[in-house]
Amino acid sequence: MKQKLESILAEGLKEIESSQDLKELDNARVKYLGKTGELTQILRGMKDVPAENRKEVGSLANVVRENLERSLSQKLADLENVQLLAEMEKEKVDITEPSKGIKRGALHPLTRFNNKFIDLCVEMGFTVIQTPEIETDYRNFEALNVPKNHPARDMQDSFYITDNILMRTHTSPAQVWAMETMKPPFKIVCPGRVYRNDDDSSHSPIFNQFEALVIDENIGLKDFMIMVKEMAVRLYGKDVKMRVRPAFFPFTEPSIEIDATCQMCQGKGCSLCKGTGFSEFFGGGIVNPAILEMSGIDSKKYSGFAFGPGIDRSVMVTNKIPNIKYLFRNDMKFLKQMR
Amino acid sequence: MKVSYNWLKDFVDIEDGAEEVAKRLTAAGFEVEELECQNEHLHDVYVGKILKIERHPAADKLVVCQVDVGEKRVQIITSATNVFEGAMVPVSLEGADLVNGVKIKPTNFRGVKSDGMFCSGEELGVDENYIEGGSVNGILILSESFVAGQKIEDALMLNDVVFDINVTPNRPDCNSVIGIAREICAIYGKKFKDFAVDYKTVAGDVKDFVSVEVKTENCPRYIASYIKNIKLERSPLWIRSRLHAVGIKPINTMVDITNYILVEQGQPMHAFDYKYLDGKKIVVRQAKKGEKISVLNGQTYDLDEGVMVIADQNKPVVIAGVIGGVNSCIEKETTETVFECAVFDLKSVRLTAKKYGLRTDSSARYEKGVNVNSPTLAIKRALHLVDKLGCGEIVEGLIDECQQPLGEEKKLEISYAKVMKILGLDISKEKVAEILNDLGIKTAIMGDTLLCVPPILREDIKNDNDIAEEVIRIFGYDVYNNVEGRLFENSAITVGQYEPRLVMENGFKNILVDNGFYETLNYSLYSASACDKLMLSEEDSRRNVIKIANPISEDLSTARTVMAHALLLDIAYNLSVGNKDLRFFEVGKVYQPKSLPLTELPVENNRLSIAVCENGYDFFELKGVLENLLLTTSLKYSLRRSTEPYLHSGIGADIVAEDGVIVGWFGKVHKSVLKNYDISQDVFYAEIDTDYLSKLEEKKYSTKEISKYPVVERDIAVVVDEKVCNADLISAIKSGCGKIFYDVSLFDVYRSDALGENKKSMAYKIMFMSEEKTLTSEEINAVVNKVLKGLEFRFGAKLR
Repeated sequence: MKQKLESILAEGLKEIESSQDLKELDNARVKYLGKTGELTQILRGMKDVPAENRKEVGSLANVVRENLERSLSQKLADLENVQLLAEMEKEKVDITEPSKGIKRGALHPLTRFNNKFIDLCVEMGFTVIQTPEIETDYRNFEALNVPKNHPARDMQDSFYITDNILMRTHTSPAQVWAMETMKPPFKIVCPGRVYRNDDDSSHSPIFNQFEALVIDENIGLKDFMIMVKEMAVRLYGKDVKMRVRPAFFPFTEPSIEIDATCQMCQGKGCSLCKGTGFSEFFGGGIVNPAILEMSGIDSKKYSGFAFGPGIDRSVMVTNKIPNIKYLFRNDMKFLKQMR
Repeated sequence: MKVSYNWLKDFVDIEDGAEEVAKRLTAAGFEVEELECQNEHLHDVYVGKILKIERHPAADKLVVCQVDVGEKRVQIITSATNVFEGAMVPVSLEGADLVNGVKIKPTNFRGVKSDGMFCSGEELGVDENYIEGGSVNGILILSESFVAGQKIEDALMLNDVVFDINVTPNRPDCNSVIGIAREICAIYGKKFKDFAVDYKTVAGDVKDFVSVEVKTENCPRYIASYIKNIKLERSPLWIRSRLHAVGIKPINTMVDITNYILVEQGQPMHAFDYKYLDGKKIVVRQAKKGEKISVLNGQTYDLDEGVMVIADQNKPVVIAGVIGGVNSCIEKETTETVFECAVFDLKSVRLTAKKYGLRTDSSARYEKGVNVNSPTLAIKRALHLVDKLGCGEIVEGLIDECQQPLGEEKKLEISYAKVMKILGLDISKEKVAEILNDLGIKTAIMGDTLLCVPPILREDIKNDNDIAEEVIRIFGYDVYNNVEGRLFENSAITVGQYEPRLVMENGFKNILVDNGFYETLNYSLYSASACDKLMLSEEDSRRNVIKIANPISEDLSTARTVMAHALLLDIAYNLSVGNKDLRFFEVGKVYQPKSLPLTELPVENNRLSIAVCENGYDFFELKGVLENLLLTTSLKYSLRRSTEPYLHSGIGADIVAEDGVIVGWFGKVHKSVLKNYDISQDVFYAEIDTDYLSKLEEKKYSTKEISKYPVVERDIAVVVDEKVCNADLISAIKSGCGKIFYDVSLFDVYRSDALGENKKSMAYKIMFMSEEKTLTSEEINAVVNKVLKGLEFRFGAKLR
């Protein structure tokens, strides 16, 4: 009996192991463990086994059964796995076929730049405001120290609507709005469109600026430069270099123009930066005390700085856009490159 | 402004080359935009003396010349016929690179060698105005005073370097050679070399010859002098050279002197022919309506009260500060002249120049502002030149009609601490005083105060900030290039805040981008014809447009009142260049006047505008996009058939808020409108008012407990008349289901002949759920029957 059980185990294991598919495996199961299977019969015939051997044979028979069952389930898993692998092989797809569903569109590069800059300003404590594009001559010019018929008006050709109302030529009227309506200390930034009566290959009659103004008690040019440097680093990376030049704006004194490493050529020199490696970044300066007084802020107590980057050029260099006119042409061949 | 390097050297000793000076000027706020070397095309050109001329052995039209060019003799072959033995001529030799692009090398003309070429005035870049013979068709024959072998650039005084400087509007005093020279003095710490203003006079009194009457407030100062026995001839070469360098045509001594003063002193002048001054009188006044004047540019202008003129007893003779009349100008026969050295109000000159579209050297200068003190020295300097050139006899005395106090120096008390605070730097008081003194701002240190007296011409210096700028531009802005320190360490903490509308719009933009849309940007100015193209009715308020008074073109003449125009143009453009599947959106403003013409600022309303031109796209896809956008807001709205004139009358909806405001609309664009834009494919369009939406409360969320019991579904399909709409059916189903209603959705609409004309089958999936128990079939069937009965009763719906 013992011998028989051992041979069942040996043959059974062999048969299970050599099964090629689920059917053969099932045949093997039936042969040994099925209702009329060899082992089953032995287990059923236990009552005929002499009592003194019964315990020994019984435990052996159980060991054989457990071994066969274990081997069977192991083999079953293996075979199922092989079958799955074969099925998957059949289901193989060409992974280079196109994707399905809605293809994402794209934000305009100007919006991307705007958002980045606004985030930066808000993180630094600026409040974002929006002021009108159709503006009074007073806020666009006079309150910014540019009286009627002043030569500084030559710098900005305006689109007039009436004698006293025009399309704003810069976002600087936002300074006036802020000073008239907010109490210092404050920091504001105003993104928006501006309009100049000027249209040629390198100018667009409508373009985009930011206006930012900081009014506080102890603000100086050095604070301004530290902030500009921080902005440049966040926008262009930590290797950015700065260059400060004198400038003239009627509403700031002193006024400066700040250049940053040209992002088109990374400072190597290109046609855009005329080989200098620098391109215009911000213009601004210390708010002229006359402006503060005009808008009702005590210039003895408060000072501040204002700056207004034109952003179309920055958008061009950071996106390597070859022609400023692309910004308003809305050609899908251009827009698709902004995905 | 153009400034000659040689001229500057009259007033300051400069050791640096022009390029270095340009750099330093730029760094100090006077941007040198261009450096022009006059001699760029004059190297290897010398003065030569023709010793001998022989005929060319093999060519009738050529002659062979032996020429002395100083150290050597050269042989030049020429076809020019105006050369002669003994003539002094410009000779270009090997290496020369003339202004017309000709590069000189030795050549063989039919077997005879030529070492170079004789030059005409044109080939040297000069004309008859500059030098006699300069415009002759042939070789420039120089006078005998020239020396063979001299470099031509030296001989003709064409060795200057010209700076083109961008002078900012706050520095009108620097629109002059002396102004720039003073800056260079400060930059280099040099002393300004004073210029001579002395002159001899002849006996007499200017007042006996001419009188001046100023009858307008636009002329703060008028100085006149009288010169007789004038000699009008070519000015000496050094004067011509300087005027030529800065682009002014030399004419004759008197005119050249006035121009010389304009450039050197920044003071425009005028010279009258005395004999034409009726009544020997100069009257400065506003013109009278009906008066006319013919001026030196050949034009005749109608004058009016807005124009200031210089007149004699009877007639206007000059448009003040702008241009002289032909009736009194200096001409060949002029023997006596009156010099005008005046100050005119910049606004008046500017308006007049603008009115006539005239911009002369004089008006350009006056528009920037001439200081009332400027004529004091300028007239003397002019008379000094008259005397020096010996071109007239100056009658003693000046007429000086002045309506403003002169020579009053301002004393400013400047806080040294404040200046340092503005700059954020630490520069010693002594250094600050030194810089200011170099700039001519007389400065004394009094404890913590700087007592500053700016030069009278520096009207721009008024306060601490102005002084701070003066200090830093000479000290050097490059101290800030590598600035280090903590951000906002000297200011209060402020909390950053976004603008709610921008935040909301950005949310919309991101949703749209995820839905395959591309953001466009269009000009917010357009052509007024947009309203016609979009078929707005005559009564449509959007036809009340704001017009630009001075547009560049019709296409940019009107502030937009409708967004759709721009996106339709974008679609038309993209289709025309072969782009397909267009999904665009734009966020922008429309401008609605409160009244026209504008007396107050208009309403600027922000809109999101969407357009799709894509095969197979339909109204309901666009509707889905809008629903998703509005889902992010707290807007409660209903849809109403839209009457927007540019939308399809049957496929368009208005989004109506609970307060009745139409906050947006969407639909298929009207075929006739598409035709106006040459678009032959369907376009779907939507627009929403983001100002309205951004003013809504933020969307708030609240949730109910989730039922433990399962959701059960039932499908029903009913046949109804076409005119019955989905929304009504849905609300009837909802109310019919009562408490166990969970959700309902339309999943099929079917039309066929079998159903009958004007009939449709609507199939709904209804979902039921109870919060108390698992629903049984019987309970649900009972509710479904109730729903069907209700539908039949209200809409005549038949179960299909």
